[in-house]
Amino acid sequence: MGKAFDPMLIIEFIPTLIHYLGVTLQILVVSILLGLIIGIAAAAIPRLFKIPILNQLVILYVSFIRGTPILIQLFLVFYGLPAVLMFVNIDISRMEAIYFVIVTYAISNGAGFAEIFRGAIRAVDLGQTEAAYSVGMTSSQNFFRIVLPQAIRIAFPNMANSVIGSLKDTSLAFTIGVMDMMGRGDTLIASTAHALEVYISLSVIYYVIVILLEKLFRLSEKHFNRHLTVDVALAG
Amino acid sequence: MTIDIPFIWVAFKEIIRALPITLILTTIPLLVGFFIGVIVALVRVYKVKMLYRVANGYVSFFRGTPIIMHIMLIYFGFPLFIDQISAKFDLGIQSNSIPIILFVLTALSLAAGAYLSEIIRSGMISVSTGQMEAAYSVGMNKFQAMIRIILPQALAQSIPNFTNIIIGFLHTSSIAFLVSQKELTGAANIVASTNLKFLEAFIAAGFIYWGLTILVEGLSFLLERKATAYNRGGVS
Repeated sequence: MGKAFDPMLIIEFIPTLIHYLGVTLQILVVSILLGLIIGIAAAAIPRLFKIPILNQLVILYVSFIRGTPILIQLFLVFYGLPAVLMFVNIDISRMEAIYFVIVTYAISNGAGFAEIFRGAIRAVDLGQTEAAYSVGMTSSQNFFRIVLPQAIRIAFPNMANSVIGSLKDTSLAFTIGVMDMMGRGDTLIASTAHALEVYISLSVIYYVIVILLEKLFRLSEKHFNRHLTVDVALAG
Repeated sequence: MTIDIPFIWVAFKEIIRALPITLILTTIPLLVGFFIGVIVALVRVYKVKMLYRVANGYVSFFRGTPIIMHIMLIYFGFPLFIDQISAKFDLGIQSNSIPIILFVLTALSLAAGAYLSEIIRSGMISVSTGQMEAAYSVGMNKFQAMIRIILPQALAQSIPNFTNIIIGFLHTSSIAFLVSQKELTGAANIVASTNLKFLEAFIAAGFIYWGLTILVEGLSFLLERKATAYNRGGVS
């Protein structure tokens, strides 16, 4: 320590760190996709098939994930999953840390998406379901063809926020030893002792990605809502 | 590795002693952030020259980067800055005499300011302009109208959003453990590593966070019912 602040290092570190962006994005994309499946299932299944207790279990799951920090969830999965799987004689204690991170973030995103979808499904006009039944659709046809597509459109802005939040959360994966951008940053600090410059470089990278994602989502939102202006024009 | 259930209770009693630090790390940033948020929101809503751009940049940066970055940037950046100023003016202040918690509080307050300003701003926009005109018509000036008419309504409408931010920052305070603060997660980590019972300690910590979250949600539900009582039913 004790070295002076060197702005040139900020630029020098960025290419090294970007090299590990792939790991960060891999965690993000896989956990979002798994999270979507969990989320839709958790929001839809209790509604489609009226199985007792299932609804309560989903409420408990969402409440727990909403009620604990992602860091605690990460540690719980990291230490808990091997212990649980030990009961069924599966040894995963040598599994790479990144899988634990993906499992945690998928569970966490799943709860977030379940909440978002629950609200969005409720926001779809009941007349749509009645219309679907009137043309002879079954309850699952109605759900997948009529309600879900409309719910996704309604849920989209919240989902976009959730994805951006999740990207920022991936910055905590290094705490269980994943070599993503933050993890690489940690090793850079250990070898150069220029912590401030490393964190400035990392902030720049995260900031640029977030801005790009925001732009992308705004464009897609416009695309999803393109039929709405036509509706208004017809009504007026 | 089996789960030692009685130890969860032992760990719980040990970890909950760190609750005051978590509460400090949650409430102080939110209070300071609230003042920053109101000022920034006013600057952005009324488009104050020059300041408006600074405010936009501040909100965009702090919302676009992970909070761990803010903590690390201030944790590593401020001491450098303070030492240089101190050496220049011969103040005799040494950065290593400043407790780390102050750096964490500063970082979290700045982050909270950015998030809260967005909520306050959207609350302000949602109060109809008719309210402002009505305030003018009974002879109030702009300041009176803002304090007595617009802000109370804006705040009441924003309660669900505030609840999310409070819970969010309760959970975010867990990041402070990475800069060796002994708040709930830090305490859990100590209990875990001294007894080599990681899962049990983090389960206990998880229950504490979960309980706190449910408490905050309950209180906010009651508060929301009271604060929006003026706006329920009746003639519109």
